[in-house]
This record gives sequence, C-alpha cells and structure tokens, in this order.
Amino acid sequence: MALSMRSTVYILNKVLVVGVLLSYVASVDKSNFKTCDQSGFCKRQRAYKPDQSPYVALLDSVQIEPTKMKVQLLNTQNQVRLLLEVIGLERNMARVKINELNPIKPRYEIPVGDVLIGDPKQDKIEISHKDGGSISLAFQSNKIVLQSKPFRIDFVASEHPVVSLNANGLLKFEHLRLKTVTQEEKKEQAGGFLGGLYSWFSKPFRGDEKQEGENQEGQGAEERPEGQEQAAEEEKEPEAKEPEEPDMWEESFKGHSDSKPNGPTSVGIDISFPGFEQVYGIPEHADSLALRSTKDMDPYRLYNLDVFEYELDSPAALYGAVPVMLAHNEKQTVGVFWQNPSEAWIDISHNLADKSVLSKVVDFVKGGDQIPQVDTHWFFESGIVDIFIMLGPGPADVFKQYAALTGTTPLPPMFALAYHQSRWNYNDEEDVSNVDANFDKHDIPYDVIWLDIEHTDGKRYFTWDKSKFPNPEEMVRNISAKGRKMVTIVDPHIKKDDHYKIYKECRDLGHFIKNKDGNDYDGWCWPGSSSWPDFTKPAIRQYWASKFAVEEYEGSTLDLHTWNDMNEPSVFNGPEITMHKDAKHDGGWEHRDVHNIYGMFVHQATVEGMVARTGGLLRPFVLSRAFFAGSQRWGAVWTGDNTGEWGHLKVSMPMILSLSITGITFSGADVGGFFKNPDSELLTRWYQAAAYQPFFRAHAHLDTRRREPWLLPEENMKVIRQAIRERYALLPYWYTLFYKAEKDGGPVMRPLWVEFPSEKGLFKEEETFMIGDALMVRPVTAAGTQGVNVFFPGGTEQYWYDTDTTERVFGGAAHYVKTPLDKIPTFQRGGSIIPKKERIRRASNLGRHDPYTLVVALDRKGSARGDLYIDDYHTFHYRKGDFIYREFIFKDKVLENKNGNPGSTFTTPSWLEKVIIMGLSTSPSAVTISSPKSASTSLGFTYDSVKMILTIRKPAVNIAEDWTISIQ
Amino acid sequence: MADKRGHVVSLRSRMLCSLCKTGQLILINILLLSLSQAKVDRPRGVSISKSSLYKPGDSFTCFDNSDTIPYSQINDDYCDCKDGSDEPGTSACPNGSFHCTNAGYRPLTMPSSRVNDGICDCCDGTDEYSGETTCVNTCREMGRAMREEQERMKQLLQEGVKIRDDYIKQGKDAKTEKRARLEALEKEKDEAEAKKNELENIKNEAEKPEKEAKDAHQKAWEEEKSLREAEKEAKKVEEAFAELDSNADGIITTSELATHPEFDKNSDGQVSEQEQQEYLEDHNSVDIKTFQEKVWPNIKDIIKFPEPEKEESAKGEATPPGEEMEEGAEFPEEAEVAPSPETKSQGGEDEDLGDDDDEEEEDYDKDDEDYEKDDEDHEYGTDEKKEEEEEEKMPDYDEETKVLIQAADNARHEFTVAEQKFKDLENEMNDLNHFLTLDLGPDDAFYPLKGQCFEYTDREYVYKLCPFDKASQRPKNGGSETSLGTWGKWTGPEENIYLKMKYERGQGCWNGPDRSATITLHCGMKNELRNVAEPNRCEYTFDFETPAACTAPAKQSEDIHDEL
Repeated sequence: MALSMRSTVYILNKVLVVGVLLSYVASVDKSNFKTCDQSGFCKRQRAYKPDQSPYVALLDSVQIEPTKMKVQLLNTQNQVRLLLEVIGLERNMARVKINELNPIKPRYEIPVGDVLIGDPKQDKIEISHKDGGSISLAFQSNKIVLQSKPFRIDFVASEHPVVSLNANGLLKFEHLRLKTVTQEEKKEQAGGFLGGLYSWFSKPFRGDEKQEGENQEGQGAEERPEGQEQAAEEEKEPEAKEPEEPDMWEESFKGHSDSKPNGPTSVGIDISFPGFEQVYGIPEHADSLALRSTKDMDPYRLYNLDVFEYELDSPAALYGAVPVMLAHNEKQTVGVFWQNPSEAWIDISHNLADKSVLSKVVDFVKGGDQIPQVDTHWFFESGIVDIFIMLGPGPADVFKQYAALTGTTPLPPMFALAYHQSRWNYNDEEDVSNVDANFDKHDIPYDVIWLDIEHTDGKRYFTWDKSKFPNPEEMVRNISAKGRKMVTIVDPHIKKDDHYKIYKECRDLGHFIKNKDGNDYDGWCWPGSSSWPDFTKPAIRQYWASKFAVEEYEGSTLDLHTWNDMNEPSVFNGPEITMHKDAKHDGGWEHRDVHNIYGMFVHQATVEGMVARTGGLLRPFVLSRAFFAGSQRWGAVWTGDNTGEWGHLKVSMPMILSLSITGITFSGADVGGFFKNPDSELLTRWYQAAAYQPFFRAHAHLDTRRREPWLLPEENMKVIRQAIRERYALLPYWYTLFYKAEKDGGPVMRPLWVEFPSEKGLFKEEETFMIGDALMVRPVTAAGTQGVNVFFPGGTEQYWYDTDTTERVFGGAAHYVKTPLDKIPTFQRGGSIIPKKERIRRASNLGRHDPYTLVVALDRKGSARGDLYIDDYHTFHYRKGDFIYREFIFKDKVLENKNGNPGSTFTTPSWLEKVIIMGLSTSPSAVTISSPKSASTSLGFTYDSVKMILTIRKPAVNIAEDWTISIQ
Repeated sequence: MADKRGHVVSLRSRMLCSLCKTGQLILINILLLSLSQAKVDRPRGVSISKSSLYKPGDSFTCFDNSDTIPYSQINDDYCDCKDGSDEPGTSACPNGSFHCTNAGYRPLTMPSSRVNDGICDCCDGTDEYSGETTCVNTCREMGRAMREEQERMKQLLQEGVKIRDDYIKQGKDAKTEKRARLEALEKEKDEAEAKKNELENIKNEAEKPEKEAKDAHQKAWEEEKSLREAEKEAKKVEEAFAELDSNADGIITTSELATHPEFDKNSDGQVSEQEQQEYLEDHNSVDIKTFQEKVWPNIKDIIKFPEPEKEESAKGEATPPGEEMEEGAEFPEEAEVAPSPETKSQGGEDEDLGDDDDEEEEDYDKDDEDYEKDDEDHEYGTDEKKEEEEEEKMPDYDEETKVLIQAADNARHEFTVAEQKFKDLENEMNDLNHFLTLDLGPDDAFYPLKGQCFEYTDREYVYKLCPFDKASQRPKNGGSETSLGTWGKWTGPEENIYLKMKYERGQGCWNGPDRSATITLHCGMKNELRNVAEPNRCEYTFDFETPAACTAPAKQSEDIHDEL
C-alpha cells in the first residue's frame, strides 16, 4: 500500500495542499532524509582517517579458550580499553566481537534467538604461531592472523587472505562517557559526579520515584549499580580528553531534536576483501547488484525508512536492512554479517591490495601481478562490533553458513507462491466479488485477493468498515470456496481511541513504546494520532500474536492471511518519517539501538499469531515491508512503494537478487508499480518478469487507474494470462526450490555468478538471472524492445533450450533473442529436469492432484537430473517427514525416478502425464516403462527430428513410485 | 453402441490400473457414472449440437486437422489435439472446453480446466466425476428460480415497454411539435428580421438631426464653460493676491511670502529669501498683473488659504476611507481563513472530504471580501463625482432639441423591441435545433427524462443525475456541489450504445483526471438512481433504472435448452 507521508498530509491537513502539489512532481523529497553530513556519527566516522590506527592489541592480555581468544585492545590516544573476542565457528566461520572492556553501562546486543537462531556452534581454535607482534590461529583449514601494532586481523582461507579487519586503521569505537560538564552547568546541577550520572541515564526524573522503579525492573535495575561502579572506576583513570564535536550530545534534523542522552556511541571499522573486485548485498537499496564505489557519493545507508517515490541508482536507505555483504571472485566466495540493528552507513572503494602487508600473512603473494581489493568501511550508531566472517569457499557454502546463523525461509504454503491480486483498495464486498468473478470470466488463475487499509473501520486494524464489508466472514468463505485466499493489512500503528480495544489494552498494559519523557510515544500515521506497541518485548509479541486467533479477529477465517505494512516504523510527523531515536523500548533501550529490527519483530509476532491460531497445524503467510537479518524466517517481503516506470521494473531484478543472496529468499516487487499508471506494454512486461520472481503480486496506489488484466487491450490481457499460466505450470518447480531453500538456505532466484562462479564476465550481470539451477530468465525491461542479447553461460560445453521454441543454444556466447510482446526469454539448462503441471486451474490448490509433466533437457553427454517435492500444500506435517521427494536421473537413455525420502508414508494420486526430452539426437524405436511392481509396457511417443524433441505419451504411472522409462 | 461404451470403459480401466490406490476409486466412480449416463451416446463433455463431430469409429481427426488419433484416445485424459478437441470431457487440454447439459436449467460450456477441480460448476454435477467431490444436482431448483426470475423480468419488461411506448409517444409528439414550431419560427424570423431592419433605418434617420442639435448644444456649453473657468481663475488670483498682500498695498513683497510656510520648499522651517525670490520669479515685489502672469502659475498648487471651519470637516472625511479602511480590510481576511483549516485538521477522520471542496470554500470567502471592498470603493468614488457634476452641469436642451431627442428615443425603442424579438426567435430556434439534434435514444424514448433530475444518497454524498444535462455530487451534510460531468455521449457496447451514458469534463481532480460519470441503464418501472460507485478515483459509475431502457426481448426464451 502505501505510504507517502505527503499524500497523507494532504488528506490530513488541507493547509499543506500547495506543498503537496509542488513535491508531487519531484518524486522523493530528498530533504526529508539525512545525508551523511546531516548525521553526526556518519560525519565523524567518515571523516576519521588516521595515519595509523591508534588501537594496539595487547598481546600479553591474550586469553585462549578452546574455541575462543580474548585480547584487550588499547586506544593509545585516549587509553580506553576494548575487549576483542575471536571465536571459531563450525562450517568455516569465525566471529569477531569488540566491546568496551569496562563500559559504564551495557551496550545493546540482540538477544540470541531473535536474529541468531541459537548460539552458533563453536569450533576449536589453536595458536599456530606467536611472536612479539602477532598471533596466528588455526581453525579448520583456515588461519586467522592478529597483528598487534597497529591492530589488524586477517582471515586466510585456502591459503588466500580473503577478509581483513582494520587493515585501513579505521576502527573507531566511541566509548560510553560522561558528558563533560562546564563550570556553569556544574553550578546548575546538583553536584559534579551525580550530575554527570544524571546526564548519563538521561531520565529527566519527572515521574515519581515509584514509577521510575517499576520501569526499571529486571535487567535495567541490576545494571544500574554496576554501571555506577564502573563509571566511578573510569573516573579515576586519567583519560585523555577527546575533542568534543557538535552533534555529540544533541542533534537536530528538520526541526526534530534528538536528545542523545548517551552521547556519541558509534562503532566503525573497515573490512577489506583482498583478491576480490566485487561485493554484493547490504540490501535494501534501489541500486545495482554489484555494489558501487561510494567515493563520490554518500555511503550506502541501512536505516529502515518509508520513502515516498524512491529514487533509482541510489545508496539511500529504504524499508529494510540486512547488514550482510558477500565478496566473490573466480575462486572463492566469502561473506560478512555484522549483527547490529542500529543505523549504519557503509563506504565502498575498489583498490589494489597492499602486498607488502599481506605477504606477512601468507607467503603466496609473489610475482608481479597486482591484487585487487575491495575496501569497505562500516559504521553503526550504537551497539557493538559483532562480525561473523563466512569463509565459503563457494557461494552455496556462504549461503549455508549464513543460514546456520540466522535460519532459512520456511517452505511457504503453495498459494503464497502463486499469483496475488492486490490494490489500494478493493472498495467493498461487491468489488471483491466482481474482481474474483472477472478472473474466472477471463480464465486467468489467481490465488489471493488483498485488502488494503480502507477495509478497516477508520484504520483500526483487526476491524472492518461495516458499511463496505458488512459480512467479511461470508466474503472470505466465498473466496476460499474456490480454493483461494484473502489477505488483509494489519499495521503496527495503533489509533489513539479509547473505544478501540487494541489501543485501550495496549495503553492499560503499558505495551506502547515510550517517548523520552516516559509517556506513550505519540505520532501520526494513517489513523491520525497513534501509538506503537513495543514489539522488541517478547510478551508484547505474544499479546499481538493472540489477536490473530479466529475468535479474536472478527470476520477472519483460516483462509484470511496477513500483510504488515508501515513497520519501519513509518511515522508521518517523525524525523525522516520514522520514530524519534530517543524513544524508549523495553529494558530502557533507545529506539536508536533497535530501529532496524523493529519491523522484523512486527513480522515475527504476526507470523507467530498466524501459526498459533491453527494450533501449529497450518503454515502461515505474512508479507512485510520492513525487514532485517533473519526476516527470512518469517516469510515474504516486497520492495515497497515503487513506481510504474520502466526503470522500476528493471531495478526490481537487482533488488530482489540482493535480497536473495542475503538470505531473504521470498521477495518481490509490486507488479505494475505502486505509484502512477503504467501503460499496457509496461504492465505486460512487468507481469512477464514477475512471473519469474519469487513473490508475485500486482498492487497499485489509490490514485491510480484500475489495471486488472482484463482492463487492458485483449492482446495484452492474453499475454498476461499466458505469463501467469506459465507461473502456475512451473509451481511444482518453485515449490521444490523453496523446499530446498528451507533446507540449505540457498536463494531460489539467483545471480548468474552463483551458478557459474568462475565466469568473471557474469559478476555484474543483473538483467539475466537463474531460478534454481535449471532456468535462466532475461525479462524485457525497456519499451519497444524488439530483441535482447542474452549471454549464455557455462562455456561451449553447456547446452541451453529455449522453453518456448525448444531451440537448442550453445553456451559461451551471446545470442540475439527476438522479443515480441508475448516472448519472455527463458531457457532451460542442459542437464536439468523440470517438473511441471500443465493443467492450469483457477487456483493452485485445485490442481494439487493433477498429473505432472517432466521436461528433460539433455546436456552434451545426454544426461540430466532433477527433483520434485510434493506435500499437502499447506500444513506443517512435512516437518514430520510427510512429504514426497523424488529424484529424476536421465542417463544412457534411461529416465529413472528414485525415492529421495524413503521413510515417508505420504501419498499422492498424481501421475506422470508426459515426458518431454529435449536434445535427443536419434529417433527412438520404442519407449518402455517398467517398475518393480509391473512388467515392462511400451509407451506411445512422438519424435521431432528437426527439433530433436521426444514426447512420451502418458506413462500414467504414479509420480511417487519407483519406475524407469527406457528409450530404445 | 453398447459395444462402444464398453470399449471406452475398458480402455480407461487399463489406463487406471497402472495408477495408484485411488485409481480404484476413480474407476468405480467412472463405471457408476457411465451407467447413469447410458442413455446419452456421445463422449463426456460434448453438447448435442457437437455430438455429430464425434462419430464412433477407428479414428478421430482433431477439429484443426492437426492430428488423427485412434478413437479410443478421446477423453483418455491425455491431450493429443492442439485445439483440445480430443478431450472434451477431461481437464487434459489447456484450451479445451467442457459442456454440461444441466437438464432443467441452462446448459453451460466452460474451460475444461474446471473439470474435476473439486468445485461443482455444473448444476448437474457432471463436471466432477473423479469421486473427490460429491456434487448435488441443483438444476431443478436453479431452473425454477431462473424461470421465476425470467417470468418476473418478462412482466417487468412488458410493463416497462408499455411505459416506454408512452415515452416514445411523448418524445415523438414533442419532436413533431417542436419541428412544427421551428418551421413556424422560420417564417416569423424572416418577418421579424425585415421589421428589425426597417426600424433600424428609421432609427438611424431619426438620430441624425438629434445628433446635430445635441452637438451644437454641447459646443455652446463648452464655450460657456471655458469662459466661466477663466472668470473663476481670475477670481482665485485676486483672492490669492489679497491673501498674500497682507498689508493690502496692492503689491506683494518677498517678505510677505515669509508668513506662508507652504513656500518653505526645503522644509527647513522658514521661507528663506532664496525661496521667496524663486517664487516671485526674482522680483522683490509684484503687482497684481505680474502676479497673475508670472507668479500664479508657480504657486497655484502650493498656496494655502486659512479656512479653519472647512479644514476640519474636510480632513474628517478624507483620511479614514483611505489608509485605515484598507488596513482594516485585511484583518478579517486572515482571521477568517486561518482557523478553518486548523479545526479541520484536528479531526483527522474526514479524509474523504475532498480537498477540492475545502479549497473552494476558501476561494469563495476571499471572493466575497473582494466584492465588499469593491463596493466600498465604488460608493466612495461616485459621491465625489456627483458633487463635481452638480457644479458644472450642462443646462437642459432647448425645446427644439428635446423634440428631436424624443423622436429619436421613440425610434430607438421601437428598434430595440424589434431586435429583441428577433434575438428571442433566434434563441428559441437554436434551442429547438439543439433539441432536435439531441440523441434521445431509439425512438426518442428517453425524452421524458430530459429536464428532470434524480438523486441517490449514500453514506456521505448525495449524487444527482439530470439526464442529458449533468451529473453532480454534494456532501450529505451540506456543502457545495461538485460537477461530475456534463452530458457527453452514449457509450454502450457496439450492439447497443444506448445502454450507457457518459457525462464528461466535470471538476478536475487533485492529482488526477477531470471527474466523469458513466451511467448504466437498466429496465425498471420507475426512473430511479439505484447505485453510485467510484471504482477509479474520480471516475464514477451510476446505475439508473428507467422504463426507457425496457426494450423488447430480442431472443430471450432460447436459453431454455432443447435438451430438456
């Protein structure tokens, strides 16, 4: 849906109408969002360029544990000591934590279980070498070299240095400190030391003592005395005064002031990737897949924001943040994940490695070749340094490593992978019924119809506008009677209205986030004045989850699913259209500390509610706009409020690919663009592209013209229908891919370099991509495109087959592919077998027992492999093994169906309808099928010798049984 | 025939034998269904009209001739024909269609992808024969309901058609009447034009002597006026001289000027010698003659006479309407405009209240004030003019001229009357022509709607439709009317464009198109606006019931199928 603070303002306050008109033309109003120069810590960190790092690792402080090394770091400028922990992790990973040795109060760390699925399994490390200036650690087949002065760490995998920390000496850890009190201020305050403490805890102490105590229960209460003690200790150590800079203790932006009671708290360090030329990841940005150098622009920013009509080719922050970066070259893939949910900025530059330094680490660096290196500089506003180094060595290994840390996307219910129809808004029950009927009238399949904010009673979520939706339950049942589902929007802003149950409960239970003065935080969003539940607190997530129970959510059924929007959170009248950083969360943490993870907690709480309402039986589907590392565990996200322009169609590819390789498997972009009216050609091409993206939903702004497929000229409608049908035919393939993604964390939609890691020419490719390992797609993303040049990877040995024409193409070269309006350039990789269902039903669920077709694309040796996952489409029973997993192997003219999940008792009536074998060069004389159960029977077939296509007619065996089909 | 059935079934069973356990179930069901259908000897999913295309035999050729297959492969759940013609009764072909007889109701042809998908699409349930879903045959009830509905519609239509016939008559009468009127007017118009021209000549003739006489009178008056002015000037000079000649010696000296501060050119508080001499044109003293010739022109706009009584009253009148009034006028403007948006914005609820409406209100407020101001200015100005005119009013025309004027006035009046009559005729004829060219639907059946307006009220708005004129909307709780468009054209589908009307170019939408309304017409006993919706922003749809839309059924009863 929706945002735009601007269009809201126009609704809420007509005085600003003129402003609205002015800014509408200019799309994003950049002045609403900070540049690096307008952010105190970004400015400080970015300007930090010491000749030599002031940090020294004190090697005599080294403590070695079986899986861990602890070393103190001393800042030789201000004498502050930090504690460095280097932890070996299983699966070629290491963790580097840097925190203050004696902080005067704790710094924020995300509780284990929220982002990390558990304590990562540690692995043995050993000191392999130690001298006065460095220590080498060996773990698994890797090496970690710590140098003392200046401090730096290098990670060596397969004899290659691949990741370096602080190689450029940019570690800058702003330790917690007391505000320097001027003479005048001292007089005003109660007294020197206590006064300082007051500024520390920043509480204006306006409330009475008792309330204060209550708020500080638990963790907070324990921390305080400790903090005081340590603060007292620190006082004794003569501390070199650091220069006070403006913005350290208070800053303001566009009239919003940030009280910054904790002063400067940012943490930054440089991370280098020697031997690499490309880095990827750190979504979400409307930018290229291969990240650009930020030398002449702002750093890439991670700060979940609701951006009205966002700009393309920009490092500006958008709705979600995943602080994960991958580096890839022909030989290796590595990744880093910095677990920190505060605002971050990341600078990137492409340079050459300093071989003289690297040669100390590993002695391969000889010869005259120059070594490329990507240098990155990361800085977060608060929290600690907590970096996971994932050493690959291949792309799939990095995906598994990251999955081991933060989890994978659970297999979605089948309908979630089908086509979704949304609009802000389908106005009433009749409207819904008409749209539903029109899909059937035009024989276009769809699975889910969506209702945006207008369905509610005055934007009070969990309620219905009773004049437009008097019988919601009946409406949902009418939809679900055809095997379809409905989704309603539930946003986290709660309308301030004493008669609104959710508001009243949250207020009375103290569930709302507080402002800096300790009162319920109050801001503007769709309903007007609103408050936001504190989803960082588990009990509040539980409360929220309980609201999704069918008996709690009036008008809901188990076929009603949910969409979380505006969960960055979007606050129309807040700084940068979001929440004030000095708002207070559970445990006394500032919003600053947790901003980027808030949206994920909303998503999580909603998902948990959707699971709980079925007693854990049915798989949930919840879409979220905001996200963080780990959001993949909760389901789908989308790229927010894009625009109906060709550029936005084009950027959807790199945006989704960036999400895919950083764990967020299930994502998509609004088909057609949220804002503005796409023309018929653009809308048609958008459907074609999105049919090959993981999350496939059409959506549009309230002000746009209706654009359901049948409202387009018939030619376009037919092409769109065909694209949607192709999606449905391939659902068995998508479903199998998602099943595998849950197991191994690999993306479903993949950059080409993930499948062809050694082909350097593909490292920046983002227009062509893979779905799984078998389908390559190159959507048309420009008006009037007559044809596209497609590069076919894999070298000349690799065959590719055009999925429309079955024409065979050799890899290792680019070919021109004509693209009339009905053409989506899609190619099946030689050596693969893709399962399809060619019977297209009105909704995916109606075809769950339909027969399968196997499309076998032979490689140069005449072989191919594929697999197929089948379950009941919607329950969690598959977790108990109730599913079918078949492996198909074609070799020596024999297609074998093998059981990949022998223990299962799950059965299906689905049978094998057809086998298409592409690339079979000789005409068969006979085709027979045999199974352990029955004797060999011959099958009908047709063979096209020009196209080299064999079509085997109706084997009619159950798809889940062992059998072999032989070609004579 | 029995032969063929058995053949098909055994083939099916062979196919199904290799299937999994549920295959058995399907088989039983198929057998059962086959038995129950024994009386019909055509492949499943084929209509009677197409049954001849499936002649039992050895082979079957696809309708598109793309292939010839064994007859046994018809409905064997595998798609052989590109056009789907071999699988009329299964879901095997992506482009196939399935026919259900629906005995008792109306037959249905639908995409074959709806066969065995778990949803009962055919009321006779024949589309779901896999055994997965049990469909109850609802054709009889549906048929009954349909026939009742058809009966109701028939009644309605009959009644409606009667009213419509009356409408047609009204329309026809109106057109005939108006056409006759138009013809009559054509003639009248010619006469009126001739009369008008004639009177115009008379008028022109009468105006010539009138003009001459008036001009002469005017000229004499001008002369008289300049004489009087010269006298007045001389009198002023004398007065001034007397005023300045404070010692009344018939000569004004420089020192006598010093008592008049208005000659203090540089405003230094005194009239210096230089200033004195400047005003007296370098003379030390002047007599009245020199004064009149040389000095008076320099000082006539400067000199001030002490007039204590007059001064006060003059000031009292002159200053207040000037600056003070203007400044005062600005206050109410700000005071009125500012609070209204604030009070609105606090609600936050009234999002749907259009921005445009609010803007308009503001505009109106401002306009009103402007009018008031203008009025004030105007009044003030005319007062002044009146005074002046009175002073120098031209004397009445002499009797002779008056007679000429009277004659000309009469001629003018007669001409104006004739001209007005001619214009009225022209206007009426334009209206008639406009009416006669207006497309009032087939046989002018929509004629009685013209000139009427119909309203529909929903939760927030009252919508109004004035057929062939305009569509509009106004907030229920008061407020100004927003135009949703003026009569544009008929926009129904090609086969009957009179099913929809379009009203276009309504008020522009913020960030959107001009408002427009499309009216769908339904047959009904009364003229009634039944529903209004806004499926696209600023694009409205109305549903309007009217007897005018009750057209006799083309071929209604054919729906009840011959297969009954």
